[in-house]
Amino acid sequence: MTAERADKDVRGLDVEAIRREFPILQRRVHDKPLVYLDNAATCQRPRQVIEAIDGYYRDYNANVHRGVHQLSVEASEAFEAARAGLARFLNAPSDREIVFTRGVTESVNLVANSFVRPTLSAGDEILITHMEHHANLVPWQMLCEHTGATLKVIPMDGNGELLLDQVSELINERTKLVGVVHVSNALGTVNPVADICQIAKDRGVPVLVDGAQATPHLNVDVQALNCDFYCVSGHKMYGPTGIGALWARAAHLEAMPPWQGGGEMIEHVTLDKTTFNEIPHKFEAGTPHIAGAIGLKAAIDFLDDWGIEAIAEHEQRLLAYTTERLSAFEGLRIIGQARAKGPVVSFVMEGAHANDIGTIVDHFGVALRTGHHCAMPAMQFFDVPATARVSFAAYNTLEEVEAFVAALERAQGMLKQ
Amino acid sequence: MLDRLYQKVILEHNKAPNNFGSMADATHSARGTDALCGDDIQMWLRVTERTIEKAQFSGEACAVTKACASMLTEWLEGRGVDEILPAFEAFQALMDDADRPPVEALGQLNHLRSVGAFPARRANAYLPWKTVLEAMQIPSGLT
Repeated sequence: MTAERADKDVRGLDVEAIRREFPILQRRVHDKPLVYLDNAATCQRPRQVIEAIDGYYRDYNANVHRGVHQLSVEASEAFEAARAGLARFLNAPSDREIVFTRGVTESVNLVANSFVRPTLSAGDEILITHMEHHANLVPWQMLCEHTGATLKVIPMDGNGELLLDQVSELINERTKLVGVVHVSNALGTVNPVADICQIAKDRGVPVLVDGAQATPHLNVDVQALNCDFYCVSGHKMYGPTGIGALWARAAHLEAMPPWQGGGEMIEHVTLDKTTFNEIPHKFEAGTPHIAGAIGLKAAIDFLDDWGIEAIAEHEQRLLAYTTERLSAFEGLRIIGQARAKGPVVSFVMEGAHANDIGTIVDHFGVALRTGHHCAMPAMQFFDVPATARVSFAAYNTLEEVEAFVAALERAQGMLKQ
Repeated sequence: MLDRLYQKVILEHNKAPNNFGSMADATHSARGTDALCGDDIQMWLRVTERTIEKAQFSGEACAVTKACASMLTEWLEGRGVDEILPAFEAFQALMDDADRPPVEALGQLNHLRSVGAFPARRANAYLPWKTVLEAMQIPSGLT
């Protein structure tokens, strides 16, 4: 399949129009057009997100939930509209179930500290998977270390697919929580989260899902998944950095003690005692990232405007084309070949360390990621110290894949000398 | 600029590094890792009366780290232990100022000055040095 032929298959998504919405795509890197293929690390922001943040600071900057003055009313309304937007985006039953956080990492830490820790004893178990990002691994390790609980792992196969038939055996009466990544950032694997939730729920075990890499590419429906906690990072889905959210069932949030104390999360304070605010506010101590939430709402609007299904279809075409092109490279091995994948291709190349590949293709304007992708156990499973990774977003094109492939050929040639 | 980083001499050291492999009779050794990029090396030294008789390295790393480790092991042979830290400081100064003339005492390690133009890669050139200093328990001042 040539780039030209594959392009003719493209329907539904006006990629050129999308590209015009991203000011940064105009810039050049080392005097070459920027080819940004590091979207799984963080993607770029469309104009509407940048303008929403700018608009808040220019026109109605004020603290939320605190003032009677007009600016505060406007800021509070925009902030709560963002919460409602995210609830609808995830098909959450209620806005009250959305807690704003700094991102997935903070969401997982909140659940670890506020939901799991109070009832965790030595000998209890937390079950995660072999492909977790450190965000959904290290908080559990820390918690287990502290309490004497055990961290258990759902294994995967050589394609990077979880061994689903082992999940049932790994869950027992001591299992307090199952944590699973929806889409692996390092391998691309889309995990069968609904199936895992079904198995866990049959045994009465709550499930937390790391959705960082899922929300930009999949229609996420927390009710259909039937999970208990769903964690989101804004900057992976065209929103700002420093903002994300935890969706949790209202019953869990009601039962959970606050994690951090401070302003906003209180109802009444005397020098002797504090009563806490209602959910979700009791988990949002201090002035929140107001501009971030407003920017995140604009990012959700962006995804809605263009249609997440049309975006996903386009990205899957880029994924298939890249996989095909890379397969022709001598000595190249794709790490992660699951049947269902997000738009991520991780690879290693004989005689060319990922770091050197990254430096060389950068000089042809191509931004890709090298390293362990904050998923070191997954790297250890495949016995590689690091991989190079390309990951796609709505604005990437087949021509950009060609530019990347040409740069990779140069890198291979250069390092072979 | 890219050609200067991946110049022939660096690529040759990467492809066929000198003094590569573990050392059975090493008196000092340390492991150096850069988890972010995946470098994982071990530096081996045989030291007698404050003089380095032999240096080797093993492990897996990118071209910059491997070339530096290869050159450094050659440079270390016959040097006094007290020469290492001043040489590393001179090496770092080279990275910070591309216009600085080559430092004669560093020999072929001067080739690596081109790494200075790639801030994201400096850590790779420093890793073999830092690992040698760690093996000798000399504080490098770098984290």
